[in-house]
Amino acid sequence: MSRRGELLNDADFRRLLHRRSRLRWGLAGFLTAAYLSYGLAGLYAPALLATPLPGAAITWSLVLGYAIIVLGIACSIGYVWQVNRIIAPLQKKIAGEWR
Amino acid sequence: MNLTAIWVFTAFIIASLLVTWWAAVRTRSTGDFYTAGGKITDLQNGLALAGDFMSAATFLGLTGLAFMGGADALLFAIGGTVGWAVILFIFADRLRNLGRYTFADVVAYRLHPERLRILAAVGTLIVAIPYLIAQMVGAGGLFQTLFALPYGLAVLIVGTLMTVYVALGGMLATTWVQIIKAVLLLTGGTALAVMALLPFGFDMNEMFARAAGIHPLGERILAPGGLYRDPVSVISLALAFIGGTAGLPHVLMRFFTVPDARQARKSIGYAVLFIGYFMGLTVIIGFAAIVLLAGETQYLDATGRMAGGANMTAVYLARQTGGEAFFGFISAVAFATILAVVSGILLSASASVAHDLYTRVIRRGNVSDRQEMYVSRVATVAIGAIAIGLSILFRNLNIGVISALVLAIAASVNFPVLILALFWPGLTTRGALLGGSAGLIVVIVLTVLSPTIWVSVLGHEEAIYPYAYPTLFSMLIAFAVTIAISMADRSRRADVDRGAYPAQLIRSELGQPV
Repeated sequence: MSRRGELLNDADFRRLLHRRSRLRWGLAGFLTAAYLSYGLAGLYAPALLATPLPGAAITWSLVLGYAIIVLGIACSIGYVWQVNRIIAPLQKKIAGEWR
Repeated sequence: MNLTAIWVFTAFIIASLLVTWWAAVRTRSTGDFYTAGGKITDLQNGLALAGDFMSAATFLGLTGLAFMGGADALLFAIGGTVGWAVILFIFADRLRNLGRYTFADVVAYRLHPERLRILAAVGTLIVAIPYLIAQMVGAGGLFQTLFALPYGLAVLIVGTLMTVYVALGGMLATTWVQIIKAVLLLTGGTALAVMALLPFGFDMNEMFARAAGIHPLGERILAPGGLYRDPVSVISLALAFIGGTAGLPHVLMRFFTVPDARQARKSIGYAVLFIGYFMGLTVIIGFAAIVLLAGETQYLDATGRMAGGANMTAVYLARQTGGEAFFGFISAVAFATILAVVSGILLSASASVAHDLYTRVIRRGNVSDRQEMYVSRVATVAIGAIAIGLSILFRNLNIGVISALVLAIAASVNFPVLILALFWPGLTTRGALLGGSAGLIVVIVLTVLSPTIWVSVLGHEEAIYPYAYPTLFSMLIAFAVTIAISMADRSRRADVDRGAYPAQLIRSELGQPV
């Protein structure tokens, strides 16, 4: 088997690919779903989002909208942290072994 | 004329020209010219990326949208934040590991190099040039309204300055001009929000309650439905934000200005933070303006509408809350914003002509570094001149339509090809070329048939394509055609394309070939 073929079957490399793609598509799918659900809820359940918070004028529409912005920022920070702490060291180890 | 505006703007121009001179001395190779030698730090690049996205259209347009349509404006603020977060997850590492100067480097990595570079160059220019013109027409109109500056003169000032920045200082000057502007805009936006919330004692509930009490839509501005009523438009908007941003060539080019994938990742993380903060803030400013500008007839024209359009909300609010000096400051920041954004776009267009078309396709790489630098500077001046000419010619262009169209093209041509090239081993050259072309054709046809052109411009009774944005269909068709053609492709080139995926995968994940 070629060197490249060996690397593609290497347990560490496969673990790297698996972890990365789980994080990548998991977070991307989660945020896209949150955004689309918010947008579509505005069309199909407008009354729900138009409900004000108890004793206030601010509606759920505004609160949830800002919550998704904060969620997007939090997911990004979490992603960078997770990759730097867990995935990058694994990548570095493999890269060193296959130089 | 407003003295503060002149002072702030003159200071910005002097600072930006000093930066350009400083950068010109340090720009010696094509690597310096296209990517600042890969020496920009993560925080600097994060500010510059956020600056690329926070254009005058975003700042002024989004305040206007919240002022007119209320809570639905949040769909834009969420779109910006989520779009950039998704770019971080999907593109940051792989793109940085595979590319050198432009995103064409990435799509041409394993596919037929010349053909893919032509496709990428078309995708770049067809986005960059209309985008440049839309921004410059916007600048001309804005400064006519604000300072009674003749339209042609404003366009000429913007066009000349951007050409000087890019031709002399390359990416280093462009990046620093963008950083200075991003800091100015973040500061200005924060100051405006503080001034706008001060009359309410920073009580957000009070502010929203009074806005709903005054606005013609009443309570409905705090609820969804102010701007969009059909799922196709909402989904198209979301896709345009995610795929469109990820398909903008001047944004993608910034991935290569940092030393490695780690810095690329962190810089986009910073960008998400700044963009989320800024866009969230902008919507609040729009709401506050509903209350604070109510009954202020000096901002209205003869027909009773806001003079210069709803896009003027932010600058009028600045005058209302902080007087002439603050108004001048925010206006100067808006002008600086336009200058910085057009510079980045111009650089991506000239890199595409000089690096992708001239050096890689026409000369097949047989060009010295000096020659390529020369060609890229000539291309910069030529594209700058074309943009100035077209902006003066098409001064009545509908900027909103062009901006939306540009984002739709980026989402339907560049984005599908890029994401499939990175993640789908089955992609072939033929699939990419036909799929990208299909996306482009569908975007243009649907836009012409949509209400914005078919009814508003061509004067027909009813639109054949009833929705505001084409992205949902054009992007899906681009993906479908690319995948179908690639799967049916039995050519010899297709075997080469598919066979080279493992090498690309390793390089993109490890940052080194094996």
